[in-house]
Amino acid sequence: MELVHLRVRDFRNLASVDIAPGPRFNVISGHNGQGKTNLVEAVYVLGSVKTFRTQKNRELIRWDADRAVLEGLAHRGDDERLARIEVCGDRKEVYLGDLSVQRLADFFGTLNVVVFTPDDLSLVKGSPSERRRFLDRAIFNLRATYAGDAVGYDKILKQRNAMLKGERVDAVLLDVYDEQLALSGGRVASARHRFVEQFSARFAAAFGEIFGGLSATVTYESPWWDRSALPETPESAPRAGRILDRDDALVSSAQDALRAALARRRQEDMRRGQTSTGPHRDDLRVELESRSARTFASQGQQRALVLAMKIAEVEFFESERGFRPILLLDDVSSELDRARNRFLFDYLRAHDGQVFITTTHRDHILLEEDVVAYEVEAGNVRQVE
Amino acid sequence: MARDPIAELVNQLAKLPGIGEKTATRLAFHILGAPASYARDLAAAIIQVKERIVLCSRCCNLTEADPCIYCGSTRRDRSKICVVERPTDLRAVEATGEFRGLYHVLHGVLSPLEGIGPDDIKLRELITRLQDRDDGDPVDEVIVATNPSTDGETTALYVSRLLGPLGITVSRIASGIPMGGDLEYTDKATLGRALAHRRTI
Ligand SMILES: Nc1ncnc2c1ncn2[C@@H]1O[C@H](COP(=O)(O)OP(=O)(O)OP(=O)(O)O)[C@@H](O)[C@H]1O
Ligand SMILES: [Mg+2]
Ligand SMILES: [Zn+2]
Repeated sequence: MELVHLRVRDFRNLASVDIAPGPRFNVISGHNGQGKTNLVEAVYVLGSVKTFRTQKNRELIRWDADRAVLEGLAHRGDDERLARIEVCGDRKEVYLGDLSVQRLADFFGTLNVVVFTPDDLSLVKGSPSERRRFLDRAIFNLRATYAGDAVGYDKILKQRNAMLKGERVDAVLLDVYDEQLALSGGRVASARHRFVEQFSARFAAAFGEIFGGLSATVTYESPWWDRSALPETPESAPRAGRILDRDDALVSSAQDALRAALARRRQEDMRRGQTSTGPHRDDLRVELESRSARTFASQGQQRALVLAMKIAEVEFFESERGFRPILLLDDVSSELDRARNRFLFDYLRAHDGQVFITTTHRDHILLEEDVVAYEVEAGNVRQVE
Repeated sequence: MARDPIAELVNQLAKLPGIGEKTATRLAFHILGAPASYARDLAAAIIQVKERIVLCSRCCNLTEADPCIYCGSTRRDRSKICVVERPTDLRAVEATGEFRGLYHVLHGVLSPLEGIGPDDIKLRELITRLQDRDDGDPVDEVIVATNPSTDGETTALYVSRLLGPLGITVSRIASGIPMGGDLEYTDKATLGRALAHRRTI
C-alpha cells in the first residue's frame, strides 16, 4: 500500500501541504517544533481517523482556522482510493471519494498504517492497558469484526460494574451479564491468544535482527484461562490469511474458562464493586533474555523492543493481508546506538514498503537510494534534493 | 417570575429531544407569527395528549381507551406477545403486518449505568400478566423485539430467564437490523424478515 498524494490544510501547524510521497523512503527533516510529527500524524489520522496523540479533536485544527482538511490518494495494486477527513469542532467528517462515509467500518482499510513514535515506549514500560490497546488495534487491522466483540465486551463490563457498585444487585441480571461477558470476552481472548501465538516468532526474529544475539519473547497473559491443556496449533495448519479465523474449540475453551472465573469470583466482585478478572485485566508479557522487559530492559533496549513489535506487526499484517501497510517512524533513531541504528536501516532497506521517517539529524538516517527528502520549517513542507 | 414569554417558550421547546437552542428559537418565532388559532390548537393538543393518553393496564402501551386497541381486539392472536422497548417500536412492528399477536411495552431497557434496573421498566407488569394466564390470555410464546443494541440484548436475555420457569417459549427477533440500529428507523422489509426469522433464546 502506498500514499501517492497527500494534501493537508490547517492541520496543527501545517497551514498548507501538497506532496507526492515516493514509493519507498520519505525522509522528513527539521529542527525541533517545526511540524515533523504533525505531518506523520496527518498520515496516521487519514488511515485511522483517530490520532496517536491527544484525544481532543479541537487540538488538531490550526489555531487560527476552524476546519482542518486531510486528503490522501492511496494505491494498492490497481486499486486507487481517495480518502478525505475534515476535522471541524468536535466532529470529523469522513469521505471516500465524494461519498460521505456513515459507518467507519466502511472506511477502515483505505489506508493501512503502522506508526512508531517516541511515546510508544510506554508499550514496554507502561501499564497493561497500553499493551492491550496495541493488541486490540493490531487485531482489528486484520479482522474488522473483532471491534464488535471488543466494544461489546467493554459495554457489558461497564454495565456489570455499575450494577456491582450500586445499591441493589439483581442476581438474575448478574447471571445475564456474566453470560454475555463470557461469550464476547471468550472471543476477544481467543483472538488475542491466536494473534500473539503467531506474532511472537516474527517479533523474536525482528528483535534478533536489530539486537543481534539477545532473545526476546511476547506471551499473552490471561490468568483466568488455563491454556496448558490446549493442543498446540500445528505450524503448518493455518494458511496465511486465515490465521485469525475463528477456531471454535479455542473460543469455547476461553468462554468456558471465563464463565467459570466469573462465577468463582462473584462474591469478591460484589464486595469490591467491580469485575476482578477477565480479558480487561490481561497483559502482553514482554521478556528480554527471559526476564520482564518492563522491569529490567534499558532505555535503548526498550526502544528496540517496541520497534521490533511494530516491525512484526507490519510483517504479520503482510502475511495475512497480502500487502504491506505504510510504516510511520517518528524520531526513530534517537536513543539507538550506532550499531542498532545500522541494523534498523539494514532491515528497512531489505524489506519492501513505503516508509515515512522523521529526524532532526539527516545523517542518522542511513538511507541513500529510493529516498524522497523533505524539509519542515515552521509548518511549511518542501521537497529537497 | 414574569419571564419574557418568548424566552420562556424557547426554553420549553429546547427541552424536547433533538431540539437545540437555535431550532427552538426558530419554532418559537414561527408560532408567534402564526394566527392565534394555531397557538391555541397547539396548546390544546399538548394538554389533551397528557390528559387523555394513559398506559394500557395490560400491555403498557400508550392509549386513550383502556384496554388499548390491541388488547381489546377480538381478532388478534392472544397466544403471542411481542415485547418492545417503546411505543414507537410497537408501531414499527405493527407496520410490518407480520405480527398479529399482542404487545408489551417495557418503556426502556436495563442499564445500571443510567440507573435503570429491573424495577424501573415494565417487567413486573409482564410477569404478572403471564402468571395469571388462567384468567388472562393463553400465551405460549413471547417474542422479544428490543433493539439489537448491547442493552437491548441484555434485556432480552433477562426476559428469557424470568419467563423460563413459566414454561413459555421465549424467542428473539433475528438481527438483520444493523448493530446499534434503532427499530423505529428500520425499513419494513428488514424488520419483517427479522420477525419471520426470530430464534429461541
Ligand atoms: N492546533 C495547532 N495549531 C497550530 N500549531 C500547533 C497546533 N498543535 C500543535 N502545534 C504546534 O506544532 C509545532 C510542531 O509540532 P511537532 O510535534 O510536529 O514538532 P516536530 O517537528 O515533530 O518537533 P520535534 O523534533 O521536537 O519532535 C509545535 O510547536 C506546536 O506548538
Ligand atoms: Mg516530533
Ligand atoms: Zn394494551
